[in-house]
Parts: sequence; structure tokens; C-alpha cells
Amino acid sequence: MGVLPLARVRAWAQTAAFPGDYGDRLAALATVVLPAELGAARIRSITQAFEKWAREYRAGAEMDHGYGFTRLRTKPMSPAPGYLKQLAALPPALTTAAVIAAIEEARITDLPRTPDGRHVATDLMAFYFRGSDANDLCYRAAIGRDQCRGLAGSEKAPKELPA
Amino acid sequence: MIHECDVCIIGGGITAAMLAQKLSELRPNLSITVVEAGKKIFDLENRMEYRRRSIDYAENPWPGDFIEDQAAKGVISRTMAVGGSALHWGGTCNRFSEEDLRLHSLYGLYTDWPMEWRELEKFYCEAERRLGVSGEPSPLREDWRSEPYPMPAMAMTHNLIELKQWAVKSGIPFWSTPQAKNTRPYDGRNECIRCNTCSICPTGARYSPDFTFKRLLARKSFALHDRTIVRKLVLHEGKTTVAAAQAANYDRPQESVEYRAPVFVLASGYCWSPHLLLVSGLANRSGLVGRYMCGHAFLSAMIEIDARIYPGMNEQHGLISRQFFRCATDKPFVRHDLRVWESASGHEPRLRSAGGQILLGNDLLADWRERAKRGTARVRGYYDVHPDRESALTLDTTVRNRWGDPLPKIEHKPDAATQAREPFVREHFQQLFGTMAKANNGKILSTSAGNYLDHPAGGCRMGGDPSTSVCDSYGQTHDHENLFVAGSPTLPNAGCTNGTLTFVALTLRSAGRIAERFRRAG
Repeated sequence: MGVLPLARVRAWAQTAAFPGDYGDRLAALATVVLPAELGAARIRSITQAFEKWAREYRAGAEMDHGYGFTRLRTKPMSPAPGYLKQLAALPPALTTAAVIAAIEEARITDLPRTPDGRHVATDLMAFYFRGSDANDLCYRAAIGRDQCRGLAGSEKAPKELPA
Repeated sequence: MIHECDVCIIGGGITAAMLAQKLSELRPNLSITVVEAGKKIFDLENRMEYRRRSIDYAENPWPGDFIEDQAAKGVISRTMAVGGSALHWGGTCNRFSEEDLRLHSLYGLYTDWPMEWRELEKFYCEAERRLGVSGEPSPLREDWRSEPYPMPAMAMTHNLIELKQWAVKSGIPFWSTPQAKNTRPYDGRNECIRCNTCSICPTGARYSPDFTFKRLLARKSFALHDRTIVRKLVLHEGKTTVAAAQAANYDRPQESVEYRAPVFVLASGYCWSPHLLLVSGLANRSGLVGRYMCGHAFLSAMIEIDARIYPGMNEQHGLISRQFFRCATDKPFVRHDLRVWESASGHEPRLRSAGGQILLGNDLLADWRERAKRGTARVRGYYDVHPDRESALTLDTTVRNRWGDPLPKIEHKPDAATQAREPFVREHFQQLFGTMAKANNGKILSTSAGNYLDHPAGGCRMGGDPSTSVCDSYGQTHDHENLFVAGSPTLPNAGCTNGTLTFVALTLRSAGRIAERFRRAG
């Protein structure tokens, strides 16, 4: 019977149980990096969706190999263990300044296209702001970019969402 | 294992699907076998989930659609599966124009095709019917068509209506780009429900060859052998006719597989068709197998405009103008299409402000909203470039697949006339983008040039003279009367717009010729 390296077993367990003991820290982070106008309940549900995203991450899954410039790539190791360390390193009384300092220390310059494991703060932001719901929030319109919406009515501007 | 059939089609992409479909209609008793190196991915029921994983995790929406050690330097897609590149294509179905077929006689450039435009036009109509194309006819007289599109054009979204109002102010007519996407239920497939992810259409509204193959598989006389790579074609002893295709199966590598048929058709696209001929040492009396590899170059601009654009309404659908398909014969030569799409470029969320400060939560949203007040048009032109003889696919003996066969290497090279006019072409586009921007208080955010040739073709170019071409206009090779090449490799040049509809039209024309052989044979 083969034996899995301990580090891989730990990474799997941390991914499956994410955020483990750091649920409160992640929730606090979400209130700093997500817009307040979403409201507490919506911020909570986005945070839960991010947790689920991390738990369902598949290290080694094939990635899109592209067109024009093409190459075979696979998804890197789960970001969950790194997230836990980063959450642990954040101060319990989380402030905007502390999050900015953490992002500066990680030398992150751009919002990732999809969460890339460099820092839990920017990944949570990418998870939300790169998504269809944030697009709607920005434009205050029911665009539904990632939904299947039918063709009827698409000639009209999307329905306005309340400010 | 020896497998015998009437027609052996090598390659399982859109060309093979269309060829097999038409042959099976023209000659129902014909036994047809398609041999494809990649695997079948026929699980339509899983595509919504593949799409979700692609959006959420950037995972491959077509899992397993490649063969790791079957790659080529210079290839622009790694897709190798039943359905080929048309599994994930955008479905754009533009026609070439008569000028593409008459470059030499009209402009003294490159070469002419060995067929008349009116002849090709009939097969464009057939290709549009078979693929299910929704489109709006061009308003230009030169773009006449003998039949209407099978389906009404894709609905113009609010964004495209806004963009069209902007674009036509520059005096250039634009209209809806034709696409192989159902605007109503068609041919047993669903109507488009605007999922905005055409590279993985979860409903089947966009045509892909798996639908054709699944239907063909219901026929007793049709066989599809996937995960089987044809490694070599061999001739009858002492003759010039092809006797067999020698293959290997990825699941049973120890077993030799041989296909025997009175007719063989290479339908493996611009890369693997000439590659197989070079590996086999066939059809190359002219020395032109793998030569005149072609495609079109492209230039793009992102233009910020005064319009309310809501990114994501239907990013895959755009506008086209064919105004520049024509070029006066007494003017410097430049031919291109012109396309416009909605875009979020310049108006996406960002982590840092223009001053470099990190933005979080409310600040990020406020910054995004401020920048999103104006819209962006993505504008692109595919322009006509013509290949040199040395624009080549060659065998790279330093890189071999698991079977020990050398892999191909593609290096495009434009001919001298194309190189000489490149500065003029770029200047033309700069002026054009500038004119379009100026028309509505626009601002060019960025311009870029493609670093590869898109919609590649060639490598087995057609022609009437066996000393300057590999096959005739039906794809029948000059050297082997029972060996045909279908679709993209036969194109002498790749035009200045998407090529798939032309590949299919030529294939359908070839199918008629191949079917005739069997009628003659009784």
C-alpha cells in the first residue's frame, strides 16, 4: 500500500475543512475587502461561497490550454494551506491598514484574474470583484454576465438595480 | 487488426464530420470510417458543469481534449479530439470574397484559385445550411448571396446597438456577424440562451461536430475510431494508389492497426494533414507538401467611447464590415475585415489606483464605477497576407512522439510583396482606428498587433498545375488518384476573415466528387 507524504495529507485536510478555525478571521477580512453596500448578509454569503470555492479546488486539474499562444498547464496546489497561514498572521482586530500592509508585503500589484493563492485578501477580492454579481453591482444593472439568460429582451439595456 | 471500408477519413474535426455526413447522404450504402487520434467528448450533459468550473477555476472546459506528446511548434491550438478545434470555436461563419480567389488576375499578386467564385458560393449556402448559420445579409452589392441565411441573425444586444450607432458615424457600414449559433431551434439542437461562453456552449446551440458524429453513429455503415493515430500511408506495390493507412491505438499500443479502402481522405487540418504526407513521403512530386502555409495577420484597438456599455451582455457576438474586402486595383493593396465587439477593457476592477494606492472594498468599487461611465469598443481587422513558398511545415526530427515519429514545426513567412506593404497596411489601420475614435469623442486606449497568423491553412495547396500545387480544386492529390485532402490544407491563401465556413464549403464540394467515384464504379 502506498503512503501519501504527510504534507499532501495535511494540504488535503486543510482544503477539505477550509477555513477550519479561521472562519471568524475570514469573515472579518471580508468586511474590510468587500463593499459595505452589499450588506452584512450578502457579505456573509459571499464569504461562504469563497470557502466552498476553496474546498472544491482541484489541484492538478487541467487548465484551458489557450489559443494562439498555447500550452498545457495544470492547476497548482491548493491555496487553502497558504490562506490559513495568512489568516493566522493577520491581527485579530483587523483594520484596513493591516490588510493593506499584508498585500504590500506580498508585493501584489494587480487584482488576480482568478484567485491565485498569493494572498487570501486579494483572492477573496478577485473571487468577488471578477464575478458576475460584482459586475452587476458596479453597473447597478441586472446584466447577469455568467448566467444563461435567453435572447429575448437583450436589445434593451439591462434592468436597473436599486442603488 | 485490419479494418476495411469504402472511404477512410483520417481526422475527426469539422471537415471530417461534414464530409462523412454528405457522403452518407449521397451514397447511403457506402461504408465510411473516421479515424481520429483524440478521444470522443460527447457528454453534452456535463457541459454546464465544465462551463462552471471553467468560469470559477479557469479549468479546461474540454477535459482531455489534447494528446500530450502530439504537439507542433507553431501550432495555435492543442485541441486534438473528435470535433477538433470546432469543439471550442466561436462559430463565426464569414465568407471569403471573390477577390480571395483572384489575387493574381485582379492585383498581380500571389496566385488564383482553380475555381470560380459562383461555384464556391453554392457550397457556402450548403455549408450554412448544414452548420446552421444565423446571419444578416451584407448590404454591399458585391456580397450577393444566392440563398438567404437559414436563420435570422443573432439578436443585437443593447451594447451592440450602441456600438453600431457609434461605428457607422465613421461612414463605414456595419452589421451583425454571421454565426453557427441557433437563434431558434434548428436541426435538433437548442436555441441560444446567451450563456456568454461560446467556447463551451452548454446547450448545443452553437454547432460542434460531435452532434453530427453522434447522428452518424446511428448508421450501421459508419464507424468512428477515436484514440487511434494514423502514422503512415502506404501505396500498393508498384502503383501510385494508396493501399493502406497504418495506425496505432492509444489504448492498445502493442496492436498494429491497418485501414484498407479504395479512397482515403486526409481531413486532419492544416497541421496534421501535410505532416502525415511528409512522414509517408507521398503526394510531394511538386515539393510543395507543407509549403505555402498561410493565415491572416491582425491588428486591434481598444477604443473608449461615449456610450453606456454593460460588459457581458453577449461578448461573443459582434459587428462586421466587409467594406475593405475590396481594394481598387489602382490603389496600394490592403484588404481586411473590420469587427467590433463590446469590451470591458479599461473599465475592469483594479487593485491599485492610478496613483498606486491599494483599493479595498468601497474604494475599489467607487474607482471602478467612476471608470465604467464610458464604454469600450474592441475593434479588430484581419488582413490579407500571402505566403512565401518557404512559409513551411517541416518535420522536426529532434522532437518525436511516443511512436517515434518526428513532429511538425510550422514557421510562417509572408511573401516579398506582403512584407513590402506592411508599413502601409499598419498606417492604414492607424488612420482607420483614429477615424473611428474621432467619430464619437472616442479615445484609443491601446493598439496591438497579433504575433501569429490566425485561422491557419495551407500546406497542400490546390491548383491546376501539378508542378505548383499538391491537389486539384476537389482536393484530389495530383500524385495519387485515390487520395484526397479536404478542407483547410488545400487553401492557397487564408483570406482576410475567419476560414471555417470556407473549409467546410470546399469539403462539401469534394464530397460530391468523391461520391461520383462510387457511382462510376457501380
